[in-house]
Amino acid sequence: MSKVFSKRLSSHLTEMIRYLRLVFNDYFVLALLFLIGGLGYYYSIGLRKLSIGIWWAPIVTAIVMIVTLQLGRLATLLEDPDYVFLLPKESEMVQYFRSSFRYSCILGLSVQVLIWFILIPFVQRTSHLDTSEIFFMLITMIVLKLAWLELDLARKYRLKYEIFANRLIFRFIIPAIIVILGVYLNYLVAMIFSVIYFIIIKLLIGNLSGLVVNWRLAISDENSRMHSVYSFFNLFTDVPSLQGTVKRRKYLDVILQRTKLIPENTYLYLYSHGILRDNEMSGLFVRLTVLGVLFLIFIKGLVMPVFLAALFIYLIGFQLLPFYFHFSDNVFIHIYPITGKFQMKNFQRIILWFLTITGILFAITIIFVNYNNPATIAAIIIVETAEIWLFTFVYLPRRISKGIMNR
Amino acid sequence: MALEVTNLVGGYSQIPVLKNISFNVKDGELVGLIGLNGAGKSTTINHIIGLLTPFSGTIKINGMTINDDVKSYKQQIAYIPESPIVYKELTLKEHLEMTMMAYNLNKEESWKRANRLLKMFRLENKLDWFPDNFSKGMRQKVMITCAFLTDANLFIIDEPFLGLDPLAVNDLLSLIAERKEKGASILMSTHVLDTAQRYCDRFVLVHDGVVRTEATLADLRKQFPSAGNSLNDIYLDLAKQDKSNEETRAGEK
Repeated sequence: MSKVFSKRLSSHLTEMIRYLRLVFNDYFVLALLFLIGGLGYYYSIGLRKLSIGIWWAPIVTAIVMIVTLQLGRLATLLEDPDYVFLLPKESEMVQYFRSSFRYSCILGLSVQVLIWFILIPFVQRTSHLDTSEIFFMLITMIVLKLAWLELDLARKYRLKYEIFANRLIFRFIIPAIIVILGVYLNYLVAMIFSVIYFIIIKLLIGNLSGLVVNWRLAISDENSRMHSVYSFFNLFTDVPSLQGTVKRRKYLDVILQRTKLIPENTYLYLYSHGILRDNEMSGLFVRLTVLGVLFLIFIKGLVMPVFLAALFIYLIGFQLLPFYFHFSDNVFIHIYPITGKFQMKNFQRIILWFLTITGILFAITIIFVNYNNPATIAAIIIVETAEIWLFTFVYLPRRISKGIMNR
Repeated sequence: MALEVTNLVGGYSQIPVLKNISFNVKDGELVGLIGLNGAGKSTTINHIIGLLTPFSGTIKINGMTINDDVKSYKQQIAYIPESPIVYKELTLKEHLEMTMMAYNLNKEESWKRANRLLKMFRLENKLDWFPDNFSKGMRQKVMITCAFLTDANLFIIDEPFLGLDPLAVNDLLSLIAERKEKGASILMSTHVLDTAQRYCDRFVLVHDGVVRTEATLADLRKQFPSAGNSLNDIYLDLAKQDKSNEETRAGEK
């Protein structure tokens, strides 16, 4: 069974590398280097302002440690059909899961070490810690992560004590208690507690090989893990295996029902329902808009706010573009007695609507924050109007006709 | 002539799946398209509904090819696919609205028609649900409802019976009969031969990308006197003949 896993792992890694290559293209690597450099610089300057005994420092340390603990789930690489095909091998699944555990440890523990490394100067500036305690801190983080992964593995089985499948208790509450002990008392105690915690878990869960695999949960866990991986890649490139989930959102019917039911509006009807109900699309729109507004609340001036608003509008529009092809695989689109010429017009109308909503929200925020700066107010109105018009009526049709050729 | 396929050669890529297909469907006629898996039934259908472009040959619906006028060509067709295809973002009600919108149907009349169909298929209380979450049979009923909402002259139905409950099969057959009476034509591909035998006026037997024969049941019985009486027996006999022909041909090589 461990061979099955290593086979899957190699094809999984090939796929990941393919995506990583797309994500880390030359421009992005350059931007990332600047970003890391910039952040490192700000971090080092920020550190100088800190001193021992700042009240919020231990809280930040604890939160960082607990959040870090959540990074890196158990990668079982299970697939939907496994429920049928691996069922006869159920008793041997332990070996499979153990192999996946070892692989997940590499990733999960590397992240712990990396964050620990970044945390060292912060912890040293804000508290009296000697070298040994810093190492105890690392060991605490590693043991807690191991326990976290053990529990993630145990979840895949129907356990004697079902409480171990509870994620809130074992992923947050207990680790938080141990981390807080470390932060406020000392890391030797935290380390001892984490080791005891690990041993207790191992003993109480016991031997998994005799237990029944909870296939439905195991597969849905893995699907949700892969979904987050793909969603990340989807920010940079088009991921075909990513299928968004759909929400009814009845409260939006008021808006949706405004579409007049005439043949020319067929695509308008499809696109409006599609974007508003598709979690991927609507989520992206809402996230980027909210993020943009948050940025703009804190930034005053002339160039920066206008630049940021323009950037976010471009980003939103760009991410919505692939939705043009969302329905192309549906045979009925090709069967309906409608001509394709309204597809572009309908799509432009939708994009215009969405970008205008964002544009108005951004403009209101900027006007509110820079109420005493008429230059900024004038600039944002002119720049946004021009950008949205150019994006919708010049950039979008070109980009899409390029996309049609590539399909 | 509702549908006329002449010397159709076609397929998905360079290699033709259909080598030479010719048959027709007359007004008010129900023609069964019969053949083994991979014989070319669905490919033929995909050519008729305009998803694929013929390499050569013509397809005419009431004397009109797709290149004459795409819109009015498609306006005449209603299609029920083999596996139901639904929009995952749209509710059942919105699927019906989509159909009314795309075919430019009169809202009031169509809703009257729709309500009757929904009641027939016991879907009337599911208008606000997503068909994407329905069972296969229920999604198939959505497809049937949408197709019979239109005023199409030509219904193209690809293997409609699988997954439908017996009641729905019966209702579908009576819907077909109703439309036939009004002069619409139906081309139906199916493997359920005993149903086909009872309802189809004529059969087109496709094998390996060519029309093996095109005849009524009575004519088929005359052509294959030794085979037996039912369409099933005749079809099995024919498939066996083809197989032994192929084997002798392979032997000669």
